[in-house]
Amino acid sequence: MAQEKIEEAPKPYRPYGAEIKETRPYSPCRAACPAHTDVQAYVGLIAQGRYHEAFEVITAPNPIASVCSMICHHPCEQSCRRCTIDEPLAVRHLKRFAIEKSLDYRRARRRLVEKTKGKSIGIIGSGPSGLTAARDLADFGYSVSIYERHPVLGGMLASAIPPYRLPREMLKEDIDDVISKGIEVKTNCEIGRDVKIDDLAKQHDAVLIAIGLSLSRSLPIPGVKGPGVLLAIPFLEDVAFDRKPSLGKKVLVIGGGNVAMDVARTARRLGVKDVSMVCLESAEEMPAWKWEVDEALEESIKINHRWGPKAVRREGDKVKGLEVVKVKSVFDANGRFNPSFDNDQTSLLEADTIIITIGQMSDVSFLKGSAVKLDERGRVEWDPATQMSSAKGVFVSGEVVTGPGSAIAAVANGHRAALAIHLYCQGEAIEGRLPVQEKEKIEQMPAQVVDKINKEPRLKIKHLAPELRCDSMVHFEIGYDEEEALKEAGRCRGCGGGAVVDQKKCMACLTCMRICPYGAPVVTSVSEIRPEYCQACGLCAPECPGEAISMVSYDVKEIRRTLPQTVGKIEPKRQEPVIAAFMCTHHVGVLGFDLPKNVRTIPVHCTSRIDVLDLLKAVEAGADGVAVVRCGDGTCKYRDVARRVEARVKRGQELLKMLGFDPGRIEILSASSGNGGNPYATVCADFSGRIKQMGLRGTK
Amino acid sequence: MIIGSQKPIEEIWEMVRDFRKVLVFGCNTCVAICHAGGEKEAETIASLIRMRAQQEGKEMEVNHLGVMRHCEPEYFDPVMDEVKKYDLILSTACGVGVNFLSDRTGNIPVYPGINTSFYGAVEAPGNFVELCSGCGNCILHMTGGICPIARCSKTLMNGPCGGTNNGKCEVSKDVDCAWFLIVERMKQLGTLEKLSEVLPPRNWSTSRDGGPRRVSLEHIRAYEEQESQKAATAGGKK
Ligand SMILES: Cc1cc2nc3c(=O)[nH]c(=O)nc-3n(C[C@H](O)[C@H](O)[C@H](O)COP(=O)(O)OP(=O)(O)OC[C@H]3O[C@@H](n4cnc5c(N)ncnc54)[C@H](O)[C@@H]3O)c2cc1C
Ligand code: SF4
Ligand code: SF4
Ligand code: SF4
Ligand code: SF4
Repeated sequence: MAQEKIEEAPKPYRPYGAEIKETRPYSPCRAACPAHTDVQAYVGLIAQGRYHEAFEVITAPNPIASVCSMICHHPCEQSCRRCTIDEPLAVRHLKRFAIEKSLDYRRARRRLVEKTKGKSIGIIGSGPSGLTAARDLADFGYSVSIYERHPVLGGMLASAIPPYRLPREMLKEDIDDVISKGIEVKTNCEIGRDVKIDDLAKQHDAVLIAIGLSLSRSLPIPGVKGPGVLLAIPFLEDVAFDRKPSLGKKVLVIGGGNVAMDVARTARRLGVKDVSMVCLESAEEMPAWKWEVDEALEESIKINHRWGPKAVRREGDKVKGLEVVKVKSVFDANGRFNPSFDNDQTSLLEADTIIITIGQMSDVSFLKGSAVKLDERGRVEWDPATQMSSAKGVFVSGEVVTGPGSAIAAVANGHRAALAIHLYCQGEAIEGRLPVQEKEKIEQMPAQVVDKINKEPRLKIKHLAPELRCDSMVHFEIGYDEEEALKEAGRCRGCGGGAVVDQKKCMACLTCMRICPYGAPVVTSVSEIRPEYCQACGLCAPECPGEAISMVSYDVKEIRRTLPQTVGKIEPKRQEPVIAAFMCTHHVGVLGFDLPKNVRTIPVHCTSRIDVLDLLKAVEAGADGVAVVRCGDGTCKYRDVARRVEARVKRGQELLKMLGFDPGRIEILSASSGNGGNPYATVCADFSGRIKQMGLRGTK
Repeated sequence: MIIGSQKPIEEIWEMVRDFRKVLVFGCNTCVAICHAGGEKEAETIASLIRMRAQQEGKEMEVNHLGVMRHCEPEYFDPVMDEVKKYDLILSTACGVGVNFLSDRTGNIPVYPGINTSFYGAVEAPGNFVELCSGCGNCILHMTGGICPIARCSKTLMNGPCGGTNNGKCEVSKDVDCAWFLIVERMKQLGTLEKLSEVLPPRNWSTSRDGGPRRVSLEHIRAYEEQESQKAATAGGKK
């Protein structure tokens, strides 16, 4: 690493419109993501075939994006506005696609970051929270050291989440992105055992405790001690580090949460045919995600609902089974977890091995007697407003203080801690400076808008068949191919990426109100475009005579500005006409962008954004012909676009005619986008031929 | 509002061809609303001129700019330094704006980029119709809210001529007979008997016949600086 060149820390990528988005309500997907990933931006970029930019948007707030692309519980999808139309966007799976498309790109962009701050930070624990803080602090210019008791980095991602859900190669890419910034890594180093916490605090200017919840809770029932009864985390760690546990023929998992699902499905993959689970809750009350339960059932795992563990029955040393008692209710009148049992109804669930998966706690024994105080229940005392423990300069983040949650929530908390540490190291006040989690978001889609949007079911995420996947730890979910990803990304309604009015320029002419197919603008003294109605189609901006409308997700004048470069140098002795082709990327449009060199492509998310001025500019830049290429097979995402685009092209033709040009130099071409092949090639070649007939401009 | 319509590019070209630096200067109120001369259309015209110049092999710098209104100095004053860098200003405001601006650009000419058509309304998006002539002495209360000066082809004041034909004017079957409309409307309002009153010959001095007109509001005129600005407008000396 020593000979690697130190370059300036790359500026975090900001998609177009990032600043203005901060001043407006978030799309609900973004608001729901604990790290506030700009879903609308990256899904939009995927839809346009701009995968590397999508990757940048994805990874800007999330250093474990590959991991999340496989295992995130995706609150973004649960709150997607498309839910009211048909089904949510497959946001997580699209993320996976963009990341898979960016493997070489990401490897090539790894850089050592210069350590400009002259201060060092020690981070205990390398889970999502510790890794996030490490990345942020390295980017700020601090020297960062990570201390991890396990032989590998990643926290629960490396040591507990089973590989059939999270292939370790993906985790490794995320970790390499972080470590390549020049972070010192000390694995197999347990703070408390190998280094005392107080010594560590002396070595560094600040310390972060991000140790997660590494101990499994057990049950205080008779017979629980002894062979054949395992705890979830040690069991999963054994599997993760290839220490094959022996389980016998029948495994019973106690618990109904997501970790219990992982444990049962892992046992199934270790060759145990008979795996069952027992939990207090009914199928509806179970805390595990529904998809986890469905997948477990597909793998012929049985679930015994509404039974509580009473005693482990043994024959000699050997486990015989679990005695269980019927649950009367799980929650009390106040909705609190407080199970009650019917002691007359008991049963014996036979098993060779019982795995207890009823929750986790953190191992804070190494903090006893240190400057970091524990509360009366043995938890680290902390101030959520500063992320600091009771010891000055010792910070905390992640599940050790927030309690169990998701990886992405631990990421979000890691960002907060990093910022707190930075402020502390710079001698600034922390309170009030850390970002707020709750964000204002765009409301649900009004019914009159929903009615105007075509139903388009979500593209199915394919899995290996149960009979194939249960035999090994191989990853069971299959990624989208490019065509699937483009189609799925095209379903996004672009919430929050739509039209905004510059009130200083609006003269209340009513054009936008008349033109918008979704009734988004309301004009009183000036126009106001309601984000909950706006579909970001872009139809209104080119119609506004005051140029008062801009779009959050793209620069409406960019095409005009860049057309001279796009069209490029015009060779006076050329044989082929130079064609400027505005091409719709929607659906699988981008797959048709591979065209002969004389066709200079200008991708558009929809032809609706093309302005008369864009058409003129192409001619002004020297193009022999200007094509507006749209899909002709009704996959169109928006309404009423064709008519307006035809009107604009006609206007462009009339203006050209005034200059003595053949109006046929501007044309609308329709191409069918389906059935493989290049949908745009034929229509563009035909158009090229027609332009050649008219003659090449400025040549004889 | 004032409705304008664009001039053919050939006519514009004849005006601008001998200048080297041309600014197409848009007005973002009336003429923008009717898609004739706002900043956006100014940009379109600028692009057309550049292409025309290229066709002729002429070296020309053509840019565009826009302000809220050309008929109030506060809107264009802030960009005047920029505007004065050009050899010619092609204003796409209505004639009012062209006159007004031209009085304030010293030795730089201001030419009209559009034709100022009439005072009109937006009948339907993209359809503008003349409804008033600005005669200076309104009688719409006498004629059912329909102006015979603007809408009768002959400006008749006391009923239709013999050319009225099933509600249409003899000038063209696409033109409504204003007097037919007046009668129908007054029937509906129940005020038809008002028409039996003969309107006396009009005093046209409030219209064009009295020379250029001016409205002075004493209560608002009190601002000194406005007074001094007004002095700059041709024909408007104190
Ligand atoms: C089985 C399982 C499945 C899960 N599945 C999902 C899922 O599908 N989706 C999801 O979003 N979340 C899932 N989670 C939750 C997710 O893993 C956690 O939210 C996340 O890992 C918490 O991050 P953290 O950084 O707070 O702590 P951790 O990831 O727990 O990392 C803490 C690290 O600190 C180390 N450490 C502890 N003490 C010391 C010490 N004294 N010295 C040195 N190092 C120490 C530990 O070894 C560990 O590596 C799952 C969790 C488990 C257990
Ligand atoms: S439609 Fe797109 S932008 Fe809107 S909530 Fe869903 S994923 Fe987010
Ligand atoms: S089209 Fe433009 S100027 Fe007209 S009301 Fe809408 S925002 Fe305002
Ligand atoms: S026309 Fe399209 S971009 Fe404009 S306000 Fe309506 S939905 Fe939004
Ligand atoms: S078909 Fe037309 S309107 Fe639809 S997305 Fe393509 S270009 Fe846009």
